[in-house]
Parts: sequence; structure tokens; C-alpha cells
Amino acid sequence: MQTGPGALCSGTLLLKKSTMFKRYFEKPWVQNATLLALTGLVVYYFAFLFEFKYDFDWAVFTHEGQYGHMGLLMIKGLNTTLTITLYSSIIALVMGTIFGLARLSKFKPVYWFSTCYVELFRNTPLLIQLFFWNFALPYAFPEDIRLKLFDMNFEFWCATLGCGIFTGAFMAEIIRAGIQSIPKGLLEASYSSGLTFPQTLRKIILPLAFREIIPPLGSEFLNNMKNTSLAMTIGVTELCWSMTEVYSLTYRTFEAFSVATLVYLGLSLTIAGILYIVNERLKIMAQDRITPLRRVADVIFWPLDFLGRKLEYVLWYFRKSPDQRTVSPIKRSLSLFAKQLVQALKILFVAALVYVLYLVAMALVHFNWEIIGANFKTLLIWRFPGGDESEFFYGLGGLAGSLLMAAISITGSFFIGLIVGMGRTSRNRIFRIPSLLYIELIRGVPLILVILWFYQAILEFVFKVDVQAFWAATIAMTFFFGAYIAETVRGGIENIPPGQVEAAKASGLTYFQTMRKIILPQALKQMLPALVGMFIAAFKDTSLAYIIGVMELTRAAYAINNRIMVYPFEIYTTVAVLYFVFSYFMSLYAKRLERKLSPEVVRIEM
Amino acid sequence: MRVLKITVMAALLVLAASIAFAGPTYDRVMSTKVIKAGLSNQGIPFGFINDKNEWVGFDVDMATEIAKRLGCKLEKTVVNNNTRISFVQTNPPKVDMVLSNMTHKRVRDEKIDFSITYFFDGQKFLAKKGVVKDAKDLANLKVGSMQGTTSIVNATAYLKSLGNANPSVTGYDGEVAMFEALRSGRVQAITTDSTILLGYAAKIPGQFELVGDFISDEPYGVGLPQDDSAWRDTINFTLQDIWKDGTYQKIYNKWFGPDSKYPFPLTSKIEMWP
Repeated sequence: MQTGPGALCSGTLLLKKSTMFKRYFEKPWVQNATLLALTGLVVYYFAFLFEFKYDFDWAVFTHEGQYGHMGLLMIKGLNTTLTITLYSSIIALVMGTIFGLARLSKFKPVYWFSTCYVELFRNTPLLIQLFFWNFALPYAFPEDIRLKLFDMNFEFWCATLGCGIFTGAFMAEIIRAGIQSIPKGLLEASYSSGLTFPQTLRKIILPLAFREIIPPLGSEFLNNMKNTSLAMTIGVTELCWSMTEVYSLTYRTFEAFSVATLVYLGLSLTIAGILYIVNERLKIMAQDRITPLRRVADVIFWPLDFLGRKLEYVLWYFRKSPDQRTVSPIKRSLSLFAKQLVQALKILFVAALVYVLYLVAMALVHFNWEIIGANFKTLLIWRFPGGDESEFFYGLGGLAGSLLMAAISITGSFFIGLIVGMGRTSRNRIFRIPSLLYIELIRGVPLILVILWFYQAILEFVFKVDVQAFWAATIAMTFFFGAYIAETVRGGIENIPPGQVEAAKASGLTYFQTMRKIILPQALKQMLPALVGMFIAAFKDTSLAYIIGVMELTRAAYAINNRIMVYPFEIYTTVAVLYFVFSYFMSLYAKRLERKLSPEVVRIEM
Repeated sequence: MRVLKITVMAALLVLAASIAFAGPTYDRVMSTKVIKAGLSNQGIPFGFINDKNEWVGFDVDMATEIAKRLGCKLEKTVVNNNTRISFVQTNPPKVDMVLSNMTHKRVRDEKIDFSITYFFDGQKFLAKKGVVKDAKDLANLKVGSMQGTTSIVNATAYLKSLGNANPSVTGYDGEVAMFEALRSGRVQAITTDSTILLGYAAKIPGQFELVGDFISDEPYGVGLPQDDSAWRDTINFTLQDIWKDGTYQKIYNKWFGPDSKYPFPLTSKIEMWP
């Protein structure tokens, strides 16, 4: 530290200069110009100064090569991706609606069953689920049925149903939360003004719940599209598979990755665009302040509105007359029959449930526990500490490797998220636009692709560093989750009442002081449960490092299964249980945190 | 201001990272005394993980022997059928040599270099016993192979030559998934290099058999970075030395000898330079 009058003088000069700068940077044209200049610099650097050591050859996609037409292969892959996405979205929506409503049921067995479904599928990685469906499930059937199944395009349906069931569990939670978000007072008011339950459902609950449900449901559709990329691992020829095929046959890594990334980004943006229009339609707007986009949305949704209005008449026609005091014998017997039917269905459901439980218990009894016992240590820590010194940390892997990877990447992505999230909320375009681009770019691409990019292209060609697969995957996940945490940070910052910022400004705090002393402490506290949730997601997503050969839990299980061959059920069940136990208890912890930090949430009875 | 500082630091970091690592493979290996080898961990018996979770196999032993003879430490990296070429193709290469049951072909040689042939194999079909009585039966079977290999291309061409205009050949992700497809009945036959087929067939003895003739020659070479002749010569001469003093036969018999799990007679001899 320098002291003395000279330093002080230059200090004030610097301060003056920096305030001058600041004023300049508040002007939009200066910001635009700076952005343009920065883009120019980046382009100039990569186009002229940077030594890429890679010859691009985009012709691979347009010319028929030795191994066939690669462009055509990609288009076929895109077609499969779209088909899986469409089917699995429909399955997910149906499953989500059924189980989301079942989670609200007062009949306990139904509630338990749906809770099991939701928790089980939300807390295990999709990759493990796909492996289970594809490698273990067929052996549950007798041989002739199994062979028939294989004749019916088994892998494709495996991937489609697997994605659908997985996403359905998430949708069920969203739908349940949406319906439960309706304040109790509204329901009481509706009942006391004489509306029946169906009327309340139609007029009060659903319209409100829809506003709550649609936005997160939409992002689930987007996630589902990205998740279909995992179908590659079980041999479905979708987009990621085609991409892998292209680069392993033509060795055109950059070209193949770029094309796949652009296609995924295009799909994501399309879905996001649709969601944006839907959200615009759902917004409550004053008649005189309708935006042009809303008009467009209104035109698009006109058929639905029209149908809804007509349906209203039909329902009105079949309404229950309130002044009916007497019940005809037919009606009475009908209602009695309905009651008995419901009773019978309940008994049937319980019986089915008991049977399923019995089957599971029998399967567990007949498990080869010796195999599990013999390999359990391997699943937990892989070869550590008996590994070779050239391996990652003396052969650490398995569950410990997965947890370590998740912990490191979430720590790293927390800082990225903090900076980018602050940039995203900044009013200055120089920070806002690059942050926005980073977030949207990363969130539009499947994690599997991000990992491949980092492992095989970015670290290699752009940063010219060579790291072990473990670190490549960890770095990729750090950047990936950085984008998601940035969005959480943005949400946290925007939730702070603007009055506080104004007060801070008025008392002379600078931007960074305001952030550090006022906004971030509050925002971070609110974000804590979301961060734990992000850690769970990262822990489950470490399974994707499988693709580049990191010996984390999934790869370890795969290696063991590969060696033993005849006990896929035992191994994949154990791994699923390991993933489940950790994720579930962490999610319980997150819930407790949330309740502690916001005590006013009360569960309502329906 | 702080933001600026951070940006400058980040830029410096990138710069520092980009000046590290330079020079061709031979110089680097000789100065650091570390060889990075790309090996498969799914290709029984070339490179796989055994029941003690050790990474073993013919290729692993060969790589260890090469490193030992050059007085270097061996660093093993997993490669698969999709990455085994791109890992030596990058500049600087991610690995210095790839031994991953890889056939050397002219098309592949455009991207990377290869050593002399160090193993002689050919492509065959594996099916459940009794399913295929005649090679012609193969034409209309569902056949599995591996993504990113030429086996799948060869197989499609072969089935077409047998008279099926639209053969069903599925490319699975690696050897394990391919064998699993045969075992569970998804496909009736799988095809790739015969030694790999032997390796997997030995997992469940007595159930599977190799059928038909070799449909292609698959001579294996060590994949090496392009245009580094000093390094290529070093590997070639080391391979020849390994052959000359009988170590090759020892390693070969360990994995493919008559008493091993995967008996496969050694019929050819590697290229020797006087």
C-alpha cells in the first residue's frame, strides 16, 4: 500500500476518472459500441491471432462419403429425437396429471403409491433408469415374450417410456404444487357462495392452478427434449447418436458437435418461444395495456377459447338443479352403485398394490445378495486406495467419486452463478447481454453434449490444456450448473423489494456495496434450498460422465455388470438405491431448510 | 474496477495455459519420460476390467512392455471406438499412442499414423449354437455390431452380398452392449473382430459359436500422432524388439495361447527389419 499526498492525489484523480467512466457507460450507445467492439475483438482473436490447429471441413455434411451421407444421418437422428420427444412428452403429461392428482387423494394407499412413484423416479438418474429398463427388465419376462418384445423396436420404446415416466414424476410434483397453491380462503369463499365442488374446480381452482402450473411445466417439456439425448446410450439412433457416428467415422469432431449443438439450440429456442407465447396468454393484463404479442397469442389460442366457451353452455345444460330436494329411486340406486363401485375399485387397488409388494419382496428374497455384498465396496469407492498412481486419485470412483464430482462442480458453479446472475440483473448491457447469452446457450443444450464439448474440443483446442476425464467432466458440469445457478441468483436478487436498493443508493452505497451488504445476504438465504436442490441434480447428473469413461457410480456399475453379466437386476437395483438414498435425504433436508426459511407455508386440505 | 481486474486475470490465465505444451511427441516423451496410452476398457481380451477391478488385457500388456522398454512411466487413458482416433489426432495429442484393437486402414491413416501391424485378426460372426448352419443363413438375421467401427460397414456390405437388399444391422454403444444384445436375444448374431467375439463368448461357455468365414482382414496397428516419424520409428523398433526376444509370444500365449480362455492360433509374423 502506498501512502502520502501523491498517492491520495492520484487516488482522487482515479476516482474522478472512474465516475466519468461510469457516467459514460450509462449511455446505451456507449454500451452497444463496447459490446460490438468486444465481439469484434473476440472474432478477430479467434479468426486471426489464435492458432486453432484444426482444419474445418463442413463439406462432410453435404457430400456422400465413404460411409454414406452424413447430413442425411443427422436428419434421420433429428427425426428420431423429435419422435421420442413428442411421444414421451404426451406420456409424461398423462402420468404427471394422474399422479399429481393422486398425490392429493385422501385415500392413503393411492397417496402412498403416487408418492413412491414421484420420489423414486425423481431421485434416481435417468441414465440408471434407462439402463434398468433396457438391460435388466427384459430378463423379468419369459423368453418367448422377451423375444416378441425385442421384435417391436424395443430400444426405441424403452427410451420413450423411460423419458416419459421420468419427466412424469417431475410434472406430477408441479401439478400437485400448483393445485395446492390455491389459498384456502378462496375455496371457503367459493363454497360459502354456494358453488358445488365441480364448479369450484372449474371456476376457481383450475384457472388459478393453470397460471401456477404452466410455466414450470413448459420448462419440463424443454428438459425432456434435452433428456432424450440419453437414448444414445442404449443404441437408439437419435441426434446425439448420429453426431457420435459422424465424428467417429469422419473424425470431424468440431463440425459434428457444432451441428448437433445448433440443432438442439434451435429446438430449445422453438420450445422456449412457444412457452413464451403461452405465458403471455396467461398473464393478467389491463384491457388498455395489451401488448402486441398478447394479440398474437389470443389469435393462436382462439380455437381453445371458443371450445371452452361452448363447453360452458353444455355444462350449464347438465347442471345440478339446487332446488331438487327429493331423490328418485333410480338415482338413489345409481348413486349407491357408484359408491359401491368406488369401494370395489379401492379394494382392487389395494389388492393390486399388495400383489406388487409381494412380487418385489419375492424378487428381493431371491436376489443374489452375495454378488451385491462382494461388489458393494467397489460401488462405493471403486479401486481406492489400491489403484494405480496414474489413475484419478488412486482409483477413487463409484459413489465417492460421484459425490466428489458433484461437490466440486457445485462449489465452482456457485461462483460462476453469482457473477453471471449479478450480470444478468445488471442494467448495463455490457454485463447483461453476455450473461444472458451464456445462460441461454448452456441451458439450451443437453449436458451430455456439454461434457463432450469440454472433453474433446474446448479444453483441448481453445484452452490447450489436457486433463483427466474426471476433471473434464467436472469442469463441464461446473459451467453447466453455473448457468442454472445464475438463474436462481437472478430470481433471488429480483425478489428483494426495490425500496431496499433505493434506500441503499440514497445512503451512498456503491453498486458492489449494495450487493454485498444488502442484497446478496438476503438473496442467498432464500436461495439455499434451491442450491441444495441443484446439488442433488448435479449428483444425479454425474452419471453422465459415464459417457467419457469416468469411473463414477454408473460406470462402475456398468463395469461390474459387464464382468458378471448374469445379475443385471441386482447391480442396477443396488445402484438405483444408492443414488436414491443420497438424493432423497438431501431433498428432505432441502425441504426442511425451505420450511425453516419461510414458515408461512401451510398445507391445505382438498 | 474489480470486474476489470478479474477479466484481465482471466485473460492472462488463458494465455498462460495456451503457451504451455508444445513440441512433437517424441521430444516430449523423451524429456518427461511419461507415455500416455489410449486403451480400451471394454474389449475383452485386449483391454478390460477383470474381477479384481484391474485394467488388464493384451493391449494393456503391450503398452506396459513398450513403456518399460523406453524407460518411461505409462499413463493409461480410456478410449472407446468413437474417441480412439480423435485422441491422437488433436494437436497436441491427448494420448501418445493408442492400442485399442484398432485396424489400420488407409482412410484412418489420412488422419493419424500407424505403427507396423502388431496383431492379426479378421471379422467374423458370433451366434447362439445351432442357429446358423450355413453362412447364407446370416443374410436375413438381425445382426448387431458396434457404433463407430468399420465392422458395421463391413457387415452391412457382406449381408448385402449374400442377397439381402435391406439388412438389419444395429450399432450398439461398445462391446458390452453388443454382446448383451446377443445374449438377451435382441439380435441373432453379432459381428466384429473374431478375438473380441471369442473373449465375450468365453463369458458364458458353451452357448455361443463363431460362424462363417472371415469377412475381412483386420490387422491391428498402434495409433500414433500424424507426421512424427521419430516417434513412429521408436514404436516400430520397440515392437520388433518385443517380438525378437520372445516377449511377444509370451504375452500372446498369456491371452490367446492354447491353455488360455480365448485360444486363437498365431498364424502370422510381424514385419521385421534387419
